[in-house]
Amino acid sequence: MKAELANRTVAALKDAGINFVSYMPETRLSEILPVMKVDGSFTLVPVASEAEAVGIAAGAALGGKRAAVYMEGTGLFVSTYNLLTIGERYGVPILLLIAYVGSFEDQRNSYLFSHYGNKTKGILETLGIQYLTVASANELETRIKDAVRMMHALKLPVALLFTGEFTE
Amino acid sequence: MIRYECFEWLAPLMTDQLVVTSLSGQRVEWGHLSKREADLNLGSMGNALAVAIGLALALPHRKVFVFESDGSVLLSLFNLPTLANLNPSNMAVFVFDNQAYSGTRISYPSATAGKTDLAAVAKGSGIEHSVTVSKLEDFKREATAALSEPGLRFVVCKIEESLGHRQITRSDVDLVETKYRFVRYLERTEGKAIFQGRG
Repeated sequence: MKAELANRTVAALKDAGINFVSYMPETRLSEILPVMKVDGSFTLVPVASEAEAVGIAAGAALGGKRAAVYMEGTGLFVSTYNLLTIGERYGVPILLLIAYVGSFEDQRNSYLFSHYGNKTKGILETLGIQYLTVASANELETRIKDAVRMMHALKLPVALLFTGEFTE
Repeated sequence: MIRYECFEWLAPLMTDQLVVTSLSGQRVEWGHLSKREADLNLGSMGNALAVAIGLALALPHRKVFVFESDGSVLLSLFNLPTLANLNPSNMAVFVFDNQAYSGTRISYPSATAGKTDLAAVAKGSGIEHSVTVSKLEDFKREATAALSEPGLRFVVCKIEESLGHRQITRSDVDLVETKYRFVRYLERTEGKAIFQGRG
């Protein structure tokens, strides 16, 4: 991810009120983490599994934080149980920042990722999680703002699937 | 040691501590004895430690108790290194370890009936105060310290398998109501909005 996009992503998350991020770093969006660290307005929590990232973000959200989880698309499959039991069934607003690996627009797509990518939206739809795809820098700030607004309105997890320009 | 006796002793001592419970009979027993707005019954296994970590980080001035089971912790062992490294000083974990697949009604022995020592796993993950207790007096000592002293505690409570919770009438407060009750309690006691958005 280009530095300019990382800066804009973090600025948009901050503008939308996000102040807590549990994360399992990966290769496409990881540049947002040093930007968040320097910014200083985010509580950043590294995890051992995307499953616990969801639970930790849920606890933070119930405690008054505006919480996000940053993960690779593969982590969605790891955390499906937690998204269902805590996110969807309990009803907790969490923003999912997902590197949409294996999607059509994923500039690093390969046989390693495509079998995840072509099932990612299906998993989200089965879980009842609303999502927006962010493939172009032009739509970045708007999509983040829209997703956060929907997350608070539904009191449910909402996902942003980053691909295209964000995977270069 | 019987879990219900631990809870009978502890429940009257709780004031503004937050309590996160997972799924096993403890959920029924604690819910029956406590009925506090500060209790967050998750009704699922493998989530309580993580949710409690998030709460402890969001509200560092509030003590967060976690009541877990051996099965639930085994399902989410990845929480232990994370918990150790974050080391929230306002969190106390009590794992009620009956060493059985108790909820299945066949009560086959679980891993902790065999070679697995959860306190040693926690210790190896980096949680410094990680101990096992098997007598009520020792539970009382650990719980008293958790109530009055800062510092992360991980206490494995070896208990006899008990089926007393099956005689308790189950709560009709569902998970969503539990969540709202908990959140409104926090909004009131913390003086801030938790959920955003008005109609």
